[in-house]
Amino acid sequence: MPFEQAFALGSVLLATTAFSGLVLAQSVPLWLALPTAIILVISSLLAGGVRFVRRAMAQVTLSPTLWNVLLIGAFVILLIDLVVISRDLLQAGIHFLIVLLGIKLLTLQQRRDYRHLYAISLMAILASAALTTDAWFVPIFLLYLLAAVWTLLLYHLTQEGSESPSFDSSASAAVGHAIFPSHITHRFFWLTNGTAALTIVLTLTIFFLIPRIGAGMLQKTSGEALRTTGFSDRVDLGTIGSVKQDPQVVMRVELPDRLPGEVDRLYLRGLAYDQYNGQSWSHSGTRRRSLQIDADGTFLARPTGNRRSDDPAGTIHQDILLETLDTTVLFATPFAELVAGEFLSLQADAMSGLHLSSPPSSRVRYSVTSHVPRLVADERTASALAYPDSIRSQYLHVPAGSEHVADLAHRVSEQAFTPFGKTAAIQQHLLENYQYSLEASTATLRHPLDEFLFSRKTGYCEHYATAMVVMLRTVGIPARLVTGFLATEWNEYGGYFTVRQRDAHAWVEVYFPRSGWITMDPTPTVDTAAATNRWESIHQFGESLRLQWDRLFIRYSAKEQLAAIHEVQEGGDALWKRAIHWVSLLIAPVSQAFGRLMHVARTFQPDMLGFATGAIVVCFALLLLTLRDRISLWVTAHLPSTSRQLVIAQLYTRMVRMVERRGVSKPPSSTANEFVKLVEEGWKEAVPMVAKITAYYHQGRFSRTPLTPDELAHAAEQVGRLQSLMKKHFVRITA
Amino acid sequence: MKRPSLNLRGFPVFSFVRRMARWRSIRLTPEGTRFLLFTFGIGLAAINTGNNLFYLLLAMMLSFIVISGLLSEHCLRRLEFHRHVPDLIMANEPTALTLSVANRNRHLPSFSLRLFDVVEGQDVDRGLVIRLLPPQSSVLLSYPLLVTKRGWIQFEGIRAQTLFPFGLFMKKGLYSTAAQLLVSPPIKPLTVRFMDELVSEGQGESLSRRGHGSQLYNLRPYQPGDDSRSIHWMTTARTSHLIVRETEAEDQRRITIVLSTVAPKERDLLFERSVTFVASLLWQLTERTYPVRLLVGTEDSGLGTGSAHLLAMLRLLALCERQTPETSGVANHGEPFSHADNGERGYTVAVVPWSDQAVSANIVQADRVLHATQLEELTHAF
Repeated sequence: MPFEQAFALGSVLLATTAFSGLVLAQSVPLWLALPTAIILVISSLLAGGVRFVRRAMAQVTLSPTLWNVLLIGAFVILLIDLVVISRDLLQAGIHFLIVLLGIKLLTLQQRRDYRHLYAISLMAILASAALTTDAWFVPIFLLYLLAAVWTLLLYHLTQEGSESPSFDSSASAAVGHAIFPSHITHRFFWLTNGTAALTIVLTLTIFFLIPRIGAGMLQKTSGEALRTTGFSDRVDLGTIGSVKQDPQVVMRVELPDRLPGEVDRLYLRGLAYDQYNGQSWSHSGTRRRSLQIDADGTFLARPTGNRRSDDPAGTIHQDILLETLDTTVLFATPFAELVAGEFLSLQADAMSGLHLSSPPSSRVRYSVTSHVPRLVADERTASALAYPDSIRSQYLHVPAGSEHVADLAHRVSEQAFTPFGKTAAIQQHLLENYQYSLEASTATLRHPLDEFLFSRKTGYCEHYATAMVVMLRTVGIPARLVTGFLATEWNEYGGYFTVRQRDAHAWVEVYFPRSGWITMDPTPTVDTAAATNRWESIHQFGESLRLQWDRLFIRYSAKEQLAAIHEVQEGGDALWKRAIHWVSLLIAPVSQAFGRLMHVARTFQPDMLGFATGAIVVCFALLLLTLRDRISLWVTAHLPSTSRQLVIAQLYTRMVRMVERRGVSKPPSSTANEFVKLVEEGWKEAVPMVAKITAYYHQGRFSRTPLTPDELAHAAEQVGRLQSLMKKHFVRITA
Repeated sequence: MKRPSLNLRGFPVFSFVRRMARWRSIRLTPEGTRFLLFTFGIGLAAINTGNNLFYLLLAMMLSFIVISGLLSEHCLRRLEFHRHVPDLIMANEPTALTLSVANRNRHLPSFSLRLFDVVEGQDVDRGLVIRLLPPQSSVLLSYPLLVTKRGWIQFEGIRAQTLFPFGLFMKKGLYSTAAQLLVSPPIKPLTVRFMDELVSEGQGESLSRRGHGSQLYNLRPYQPGDDSRSIHWMTTARTSHLIVRETEAEDQRRITIVLSTVAPKERDLLFERSVTFVASLLWQLTERTYPVRLLVGTEDSGLGTGSAHLLAMLRLLALCERQTPETSGVANHGEPFSHADNGERGYTVAVVPWSDQAVSANIVQADRVLHATQLEELTHAF
């Protein structure tokens, strides 16, 4: 491809990438995106040298005055946009930027126009960076960087070309092979891509090293918060059902001290409710206390009513990345004891719910250490339990008209003689006699619980949990309803639970005086075996990459930098471990994917043909890469169009290079035969090959008898042998 | 109390930096300035917002700057320059100089090199551009050189500059290829009348005598012992007696040019024209195969013929310097004349761009003296 054409294409690609960033950030309305996309396509075809587009565009000639008028018009529209339409400087600015981009693409003639286009593209990519934190920014950014390297390089080289046509056309003359190519050569292609790769590595290095001194004064929120239900002060029975089909990710939970597969389901507690009026749940107390913070910034959140256990097996650590939600509630496995995160204050309500002071404006990352209460053995078998008055008064209240429910509860639990036995019997009754269904909406019913227990006998978590709480209370066992999420979707690649809106759940906490609040779930397990098809795997892989992106790039902060500096001061080992940890975090998804691929290979199925083909192609490419020297040797020796004199010269040069790598270099003054003697002194094993190649070189280069194809092949074979000898030598050194 | 001023030049670090700056320097291009402004803006936005994606873009911009530095350095590293200069060139005559540039990098080519001659600390653009120099290869560049002043010209080195890879910075590197070139005064045509007059005067005033040469001196009857090759056959046939041909000794036509180097500053132009005149005269006489000798100040070229001798004389002229009457003594003006024997000198022409009484007394010894007035007349077209 000619340089000029590559330059024009690179410029359009740069603009396209920046534009794509803005479109993906959903900041460009359709009426603006569509014409701009058309202009980009036309520009690409124009830059690609498509003749009919070139002819068509030559017909359409608009005067510079008209373009200037258009520009002024765009500015007027910006003002109108700013004042009337979007009323947001960033949005209006982006619209203006897109209009400018379109105009500039249609008037690309002088080098100044290209410079303007680059400036607009930079502003556009900057705007998209301001508008998103999503992982799609990664490919856009990488593509932008690659296009920028190509474009800037070609901009400079084509400018040099236009300023000085060629050095041999002036007063100078060239001897040698220094004529500048007019087309993109192989060497140039790889050199530019290598430069881009180096730039990416350097960019990442600088990114992690730049001191984070940002005050975040003008920090923008990450967009609209996710709507949740079930975490307000009052929850109507049946409202959770509305989100049970929503697949949006709410949070990702890692369990650093648990092995993968050790925990198959995780209850993430949000709020607890003690008052039920027959239709909705609410809190009796709305007072919240601010949590104390210790020296290292950790909030101490010992739950009320639960005893602290020193049993390490009873604690569970969680690293949670919570999406932007419209609630102040923080979720954690019951019961949170220590909370650390990027927030200034934290509050706890009377029923151990954790609250931020205000709904977060962006994602929140926090770590929680929870104590999982276990039922004390005595209380499992105790025939009667002495509940404190405060508990009895708060957690034994049932709504009026619950007689049928009470009858049912007594009937169900009449065979049990202990509180725990009754609890288990009621739970078992609900698990066995009722059907889980999201179809059974009871939000509009007057007595939704009766409807669930006696008429429909189908419902979902809220119905089950409400029924169990009311039934327990009717038999004198204190209980309360808890809303939160039940995490079951384990991401194998990232090693974390993905929690979605549809995982919203309600369950029950039953009070035991010595054990505290024990979690019980009367909702039958729905067989939601995750589809393990190919797309699900890819989706999980992408999901885990998104998490790593968020952790390593979006959430990277001064705190982590300071930690790294501290580790440098402490000693290299810790830093080394941390670096390995980071690298492993980055490559974990890849290694997991590889493991998955191996698994797929073992359980080969016809629909996995695509994967198998891909793997074979990759292996073949690797093989080609490994054998490239041999292949090029064969091509050199056997290609019929190559002159034999040139071939033997190339083989000789290759031999000299190989020997030089071994440490025996050829001085410019030495002849080929003298070089053989030098090899004798420095690398005796190579002498037979070197001597033979030299003899062929002499014959092919200087004698009147040209080399035969067989002799050339033999020379190539000698070079191959020398190569093998070289590899053996390096293997020996490495070993 | 006067405080001592801080003299940084004495510090080794300062001198190291200066030395380094001499070998490598970097300058922002207009594009680079804009790029830096954008970088600064993005940096400001990153600090103000704390947005890590802004930091990522900032890191990208900074890495472009670092890559620019690394690649431009790679372009300028391991370049080798060899200059080929002639022994002597003439002022105002274009001469081709050649420069060989080799890239000793093993793998990477050098791009966009613009080369400058460094002469007396100044970069002189000769229009030398190399857009691509592959690894392990070399090019030979030639360029015309036109020097207007006689004397030594010192080439200190070659300065290579590159805008590669992104045109944001211009990096320069200095390569020592010290060489010196001697520039002789130009050769100008002299009037035929003047030359003929000069030659005939020389002939008239010299005493003819037999000897080795090519010009005819005399015809005489053959005597035993004469070389048979000298028999003049045409006369022998006409007179029916053996007649031999005698030749005139060539050394009888030798000419000595004496150039007086004493002249006040205001006569500098005429002095230079006189030097040019002498060079032109020497060239004409050498063309006519006269043995010529040049006396410049205290320098004596000796008597000789041929192009090698001419070059030697031109070197003397290239390096001769004007002396003011105050700094030189009268003895200096007269010295060549006093030591030179008239017989050895042959016909002597003195070129005196400036004279006073004392000098005139000595110059009188020359066969012909060209004074300022005559020189003005002879060199007005130079």
